[in-house]
Amino acid sequence: MSLDPGFIWTAFLSLFKALPNTLYITIVSVFVGFIIGTAIALIRIYRIPVLYPLASAYVLFIRGTPMLMHLLLIYFGLPIIIDGLASALGLGFNSTVIPLIGFAYISFSITAGAYMSEVVRAGILSVNRGQMEAAYSIGMTTPQALRRIVLPQALAVCLPNLSNNLIGMLHGSTLAFTVSVVEINAQAQIVAATNWKFLEAYIAAAVLFWGMTILIEQATAWLERRINKYNRGGVA
Amino acid sequence: MIELKQISKSFGKNQVLQSIDLTVEKGEVVVILGPSGSGKTTLLRCINYLEKPDNGQIRIGDFKLDFKTAGKKDIHNLRQRSAMVFQHYNLFKHKTALENVMEGLLIVQKLPKDEARRRSTQMLEKVGLAAKLDAYPSELSGGQQQRVGIARALALNPEVILFDEPTSALDPELVGEVLDVIRKIAGEGITMIVVTHEMGFARDVANHVVFMDGGVIVEEGKPSELFGKPKEERTKQFLKRIAPEPSYSI
Amino acid sequence: MGRKFDIHYLLDFLPKLLSYLHITLFIVAASILLGLVVGFIIALPRLYKIPVLQRASQVYVSFFRGTPILIQLFLIYYGLPELLKLVHIDVSRANVLVFVILAYALHSGAFISEAIRAAVNGVDRGQVEAAYAIGMSGYQAFTRIVLPQALAISIPILANLVIGNLKDTSLAFTLGAMEMTGKSQTLASATQHFIETYIALSLIYFVISTILERTFHYLERRLLRHEKQVAEPAVRYGKRRLWKRTLITRLEKGG
Repeated sequence: MSLDPGFIWTAFLSLFKALPNTLYITIVSVFVGFIIGTAIALIRIYRIPVLYPLASAYVLFIRGTPMLMHLLLIYFGLPIIIDGLASALGLGFNSTVIPLIGFAYISFSITAGAYMSEVVRAGILSVNRGQMEAAYSIGMTTPQALRRIVLPQALAVCLPNLSNNLIGMLHGSTLAFTVSVVEINAQAQIVAATNWKFLEAYIAAAVLFWGMTILIEQATAWLERRINKYNRGGVA
Repeated sequence: MIELKQISKSFGKNQVLQSIDLTVEKGEVVVILGPSGSGKTTLLRCINYLEKPDNGQIRIGDFKLDFKTAGKKDIHNLRQRSAMVFQHYNLFKHKTALENVMEGLLIVQKLPKDEARRRSTQMLEKVGLAAKLDAYPSELSGGQQQRVGIARALALNPEVILFDEPTSALDPELVGEVLDVIRKIAGEGITMIVVTHEMGFARDVANHVVFMDGGVIVEEGKPSELFGKPKEERTKQFLKRIAPEPSYSI
Repeated sequence: MGRKFDIHYLLDFLPKLLSYLHITLFIVAASILLGLVVGFIIALPRLYKIPVLQRASQVYVSFFRGTPILIQLFLIYYGLPELLKLVHIDVSRANVLVFVILAYALHSGAFISEAIRAAVNGVDRGQVEAAYAIGMSGYQAFTRIVLPQALAISIPILANLVIGNLKDTSLAFTLGAMEMTGKSQTLASATQHFIETYIALSLIYFVISTILERTFHYLERRLLRHEKQVAEPAVRYGKRRLWKRTLITRLEKGG
């Protein structure tokens, strides 16, 4: 077996160059996705007319198609729309102003939004109806009750799922190489191809992702213990 | 004074409240009795707008509202004049006893933090929980949770406190401590409407007893009248079933 | 970036892509079946708490859940031939699908083993005790009582895995596998009608995953028939349930 263990380390170090791109994509998509997801979840729970079927269709479509499709559809579709609008309205710019990583941000946020909405929805529905009533009974408005009473409890419930989604988006960020963004996977390909040492480069990439995933899992477990301090149990 | 006029409410085809009229004087303790499904809990929830009546008006003090035309502001206004104690306590699970009581003072009444804390501590002392300020609901017994619920309602200083079967989810040995607290605050002249199955409590504490069945008020009056010599057949039946007369006299 | 949008290309591409659907489905089916075997093997040491092996299966699961499938594809594609060289087997001319299926099988095996564990642990302990109490053997209790109930619990998880696997197969093209997405790449670059290609491809994935979801949903309902009897008495609280249904409007009306 021709494995060059020393090169795994070399490759590993060179992957750190691409780490920021991976992290940017992951963090932006999870953050924006969470905002989109919360909005979609509220629209679906409160069955807001007009928006409700749209939100349902969005979630259904995104969950029913591969993340790669979302990226490719945005990458090839968005410029057509933007350029069409720009020329129709006589605006002085075109789609080339969007950096490549921008397509990853946009499309992965859309992906994450659909998955997040399911997580947030389940979290909100898991909070007992009585909590909302109690909030009303002391005179809170709906936004106050949602923000102060329901969401904090829902967040604690959906923390494991949120963490799973975060890991999913971290792993999904590897797709960005298809639109020429140099994240860890693309960097591994570059290192592999220039040195003709493919296995070593991918081992290094795997170790890096594995490490980051374990880190997220540990952080989640720690956070869970902290947030759930009110579930100390005892007499019911 | 609280005045309910022609409150009606249906769930689908099932009419649970049929044009209810009820007047509660300031400082009065009103107990609503009735078999399950009689509409008594629904009526209570309507007063706090946790249920939207199909028809009717309500007046609490100088505030008047028609349920048919009520807007968001009116609802908010109505809720600020009443407070509710729930059957299943409904304490905010992620907040301590103290935080539960403070929440409404801080967020709704916008009191400064020190003031809210001072008043909340005072209320928790009143219900005998001075030692449990920092306990989360999951660390409290049912009776303690319900007493926090009462402190939470009391702190808001509402014009009326609504009690929705406050002891029916409790283990029998815990009922007493909660009833004692309610009895104590009833003595302070706070207007209360209580839905309960505790006949002894109704007899002792109420100024006014209302018997509901099938979505209407069958009979109302002073406890001595209603328990002593009920006029309606349905009332007699109900009282007999729930508190059978002793077969001997003392 | 590509030519002007033309719906005719979209309609033209649909059948062309569909003619590669069977390869995509073959990858899914083969890797899930193989993944079930892998999953059981990986789950057993943890269910029976076998020392050392238990630790090994933990590491296996952590690795395959902790790294992107794309990286796993490359690792297996480049790593497996090297490993097999040690035992003098030459796989350099093996079909690329072999690597693809193996990668997806090992990947889903990790998730399936977790699903199995969750399902078996999800069956009430009292069920096994009751089985022992009427004189069943451990094997009988497992196959007749635990397994059917565990299966019902695991159906939704399995459904997610299968659909996730279907969507993941879109990455097989990176190894040069000619399934639907691979075909779409050649179609798109040959005609320069990218967006039409990917709309067509998305539609196909969407329809297939919807069909899969419905099927699993139906299966779950059949397997959970016994739960219905438990739910029946709820009718007695007819008013209560109605009350629940009005919750939404009531919240909407609030403050």
